[in-house]
Amino acid sequence: MSEVATEVALTAEEGRPAVEERRPEQEACAGRRVVLSTHQLTKDFKGLRAVDHLDLSVCEGDVFGFLGPNGAGKTTTIRMILGLIYPTQGHVQILNHRVPDQRLDALRHVGGFVDVPAFYNSMSARRNLRILGRMSGDVTEARIDEVLEMVGLSERGDSRVGGYSHGMRQRLGIAQALIHRPALIILDEPTSGLDPQGMKDVRELVRELGRQGTTVFLSSHLLHEVEQVCNRAVIMDKGRIVVEGPVSELRPARMSVKFLTSDQPRAAEVLGRLLGVGSIAESGAESLRVTAGDGLVPEMVRHLVAEGIDVRAVVPAVEQGLEDFFLQLTGASSEGNDQ
Amino acid sequence: MSHLRREIVKVLFQRRTYVGWAGLLAIPFIMTIALRLSTEQPSEGHGPPFFSSIASNGLFVPLAALAFLSFFLLPLVSAMTGSFVIAGEAETGTLKTLLTRPVSRSGVLLAKWFVAVLYVGVGLVLVGVGGALAGWLLFGVQPLTTFSGGQLGIAEALRLTALAYAISLVGMACIVSLAVALSTVTDSSLTAAVGTLVIVLILQALGQFSYFDFLKPYLFTARFEDWFNLLRQPIPWRPIWEALLVYSGYIVVLVGVAVAVFRRKDILS
Repeated sequence: MSEVATEVALTAEEGRPAVEERRPEQEACAGRRVVLSTHQLTKDFKGLRAVDHLDLSVCEGDVFGFLGPNGAGKTTTIRMILGLIYPTQGHVQILNHRVPDQRLDALRHVGGFVDVPAFYNSMSARRNLRILGRMSGDVTEARIDEVLEMVGLSERGDSRVGGYSHGMRQRLGIAQALIHRPALIILDEPTSGLDPQGMKDVRELVRELGRQGTTVFLSSHLLHEVEQVCNRAVIMDKGRIVVEGPVSELRPARMSVKFLTSDQPRAAEVLGRLLGVGSIAESGAESLRVTAGDGLVPEMVRHLVAEGIDVRAVVPAVEQGLEDFFLQLTGASSEGNDQ
Repeated sequence: MSHLRREIVKVLFQRRTYVGWAGLLAIPFIMTIALRLSTEQPSEGHGPPFFSSIASNGLFVPLAALAFLSFFLLPLVSAMTGSFVIAGEAETGTLKTLLTRPVSRSGVLLAKWFVAVLYVGVGLVLVGVGGALAGWLLFGVQPLTTFSGGQLGIAEALRLTALAYAISLVGMACIVSLAVALSTVTDSSLTAAVGTLVIVLILQALGQFSYFDFLKPYLFTARFEDWFNLLRQPIPWRPIWEALLVYSGYIVVLVGVAVAVFRRKDILS
């Protein structure tokens, strides 16, 4: 077992998320075809290790979440997968093709973007798609119409991209990734900069691609986004995988909830007597923020009601940041920071 | 061919393409109109080569324009065009968009280099045609007197003028190649353009000092006047062929370096 795997096993014993043991790619895919895998993938920049012996496998039909905070090595990894930068060590395998050695063959099966999608501003979206699509094979006008429709840009397809908003460029980035019907779609923070409706649309589109059997590799720093659309995920930090497994198992064991009540002191006292309750703090005029295992919430409500304390609502606290989750994973407490 | 078609379409969709060409087209007209309106005619030895002869024969306008532009403006246009090839696309982020497609990096670079040279070539055609047109309209044309004192018919003069432009284009292709090579090692097109111009100016300076005469045959910048030989009778072809050989050497080496660097370059922007 590798050093990383040992680290993961220890965290599982301590009550943190159960995770898959690192294992050979074929086993990880349980008989499904491996669409993308990395093998000891490493990248150094002037003495700084951005990606450190990364091994991961993405199976056919996966909507695979690639999570990590800024600087975790996500974008560097994607650049290596897309053949934009050369690994210091190791390689990428896309279907039967190794990257960088067989980059051209590999990229015929891939569509995607890294960072902010960029286009020729003086041209229309349609012409951009025509140019980029033809670099990957034959692309018909009907297909261009189809992808523009999928990303909600049908009505602006003939407008110059120079006049597009950030969100429209993100959508066009997805359109150009889809244009040649690749087996693998790689999206680097596709909802970045989108308004709530745009985020919802893009997430629904990714889910739909997954339902159609397209393999999607989705980079994000938003845990809840990955939860909503992905079936498997890895979490990276400092160029290494910290956690890997089904998305349902990536949630932290403890969560923060807010109790809306007018009697904060008494509610705090009652909850403080319960076993398993972590931090309790006032959060606004009529709100109490409590950290506890999510299985404990019904019991907390029962106790408050039994004591005659009105509970108007129980809501999840602000979405737990990935950074907090990382701190939990690596054994540090985030509770102090929360308060 | 698909690389070339794509690059040509991209260039034709950029507004600066037409601004650059319009500027080059305007220069021979400005030069000719200024001379026509001037009360004093430039004397022999004053102003750029051929300038003093324009008033007597409009056929000298395209030659004077070429001689005038060859020392700074055409190198500037060539440097800017070449520097945008890789670094410019890196700045706008479109380089990564291109290279996430299954395309050969060498193919992309060579197509871009070719289209950059083509752009300068079209610019030269505009200068030449504009110059001939302006000269004909404002001063008229007649058989052209050569350096050797002989006369060239109008058709022959135009043919040799076209040849002079073609030779100059190969010279400018050296500058484009230098800019393309620098463009592969930086992600700033301005840095590549300035770097190219600095190197061209240094090479031109080296050509000015007799101490460095031993270098002169190998400096492409020292060959920018070799097309003047076309206006001698009989034409001494040797320096012209030598110039083309020197130009070709620089082009092959610089484009080779650019391809080698670009094939292994990490695309980070």
